[in-house]
Amino acid sequence: MSDPWRLVDDLGGGLDAAEQMAADVALLDEVAAGALPALRLYRWSPPALSLGRFQPDDDVDSVACRHYGVEVVRRPTGGRALLHGADLTYAVAMPLTAVGPARDSVDARYRLVAGALVAGLAELGVDAAVARTGGAPGPVCFAGQQGADLRVGERKLCGSAQLCRDGAVLQHGAILLDRLEFDETDVLRGTDPGVARERLRAATVTLHELGAPVAPRLVAGALVRGFERSLDVRFNSRLEVEG
Amino acid sequence: MNYPEQLRYSAEHEWVAVDGNRARVGITDYAQDALGDVVYVQLPDVGATVAAMETCSEVESTKSVSDVYAPVGGTIAEVNEALGDAPERLNQEPYGDGWMFVIEMSDPSELDRLMDATAYRQLVEEQ
Repeated sequence: MSDPWRLVDDLGGGLDAAEQMAADVALLDEVAAGALPALRLYRWSPPALSLGRFQPDDDVDSVACRHYGVEVVRRPTGGRALLHGADLTYAVAMPLTAVGPARDSVDARYRLVAGALVAGLAELGVDAAVARTGGAPGPVCFAGQQGADLRVGERKLCGSAQLCRDGAVLQHGAILLDRLEFDETDVLRGTDPGVARERLRAATVTLHELGAPVAPRLVAGALVRGFERSLDVRFNSRLEVEG
Repeated sequence: MNYPEQLRYSAEHEWVAVDGNRARVGITDYAQDALGDVVYVQLPDVGATVAAMETCSEVESTKSVSDVYAPVGGTIAEVNEALGDAPERLNQEPYGDGWMFVIEMSDPSELDRLMDATAYRQLVEEQ
């Protein structure tokens, strides 16, 4: 039997946005140094806008972020801006050897984790699939789709990104549980709020809108089972049940 | 997959073209294919000192950030500024206009640790 994976339950909160990203990077560095692979599950409070590793700072409307009480943080991974707060975020850190012969392939790594996420979402009655490349170019992650992402029908439910170094990979991503009262178009520059908001809403879907459960621990539990089944791994601890 | 005979290769999928004491570096055809469409390249600073196998550059493709390592140690003598506007050159011409940086080598004997085309092809094909 293969080594277990670590399960890091940070659903209880308590970390600010910078600490969330530091925790994900720490997982990657631990795995690169020989620690067991890990799945971390967490939420964001207060809301936060995460920017891709190389996304220009100018994309952010700092005044609007302050107005909405949104923390701004830079992800160690690629991609574009993502507003957290009504999502469940996962982070996976594993050695590239866990990916198998295609370990150098970015797409193969996405596909491996996608299989686990799709299996978990299926437990919630959600029929998700790997996204097709397309959508609007611009600063908003959820306005576009790539092979890294998951869709239901043609609408994006989950956006993911990676950092690969020292023989290990970190992949994290956000699954939309619901929507906040504002969205990326309110806190980013270069988006025409009216038009962009309509387009963003049409391009995305939440578990709530799909009629699926949205209780974070219930969704997290389904994801854990998805990883167990799809990747044939076992975890060294269990999630606390919904309190 | 293309493995030019005249180059040396690292296990991290960088190529090196040696000209005197200068080593021109890029990523291999295999690496660019594995990364997918490159959308951003973070190059080292000219004048920076790098050690062999130390991270000295990053590339982003399909929302994935990957480290690029210095195959040999030395000082960064030149970087391919054109990649700022045209990162896709890494995909289109990995051994040509997609070169990344030039290292003025501090210890050319480090080249001995790199592979020739035959050994590198074997490494890739065994994966």
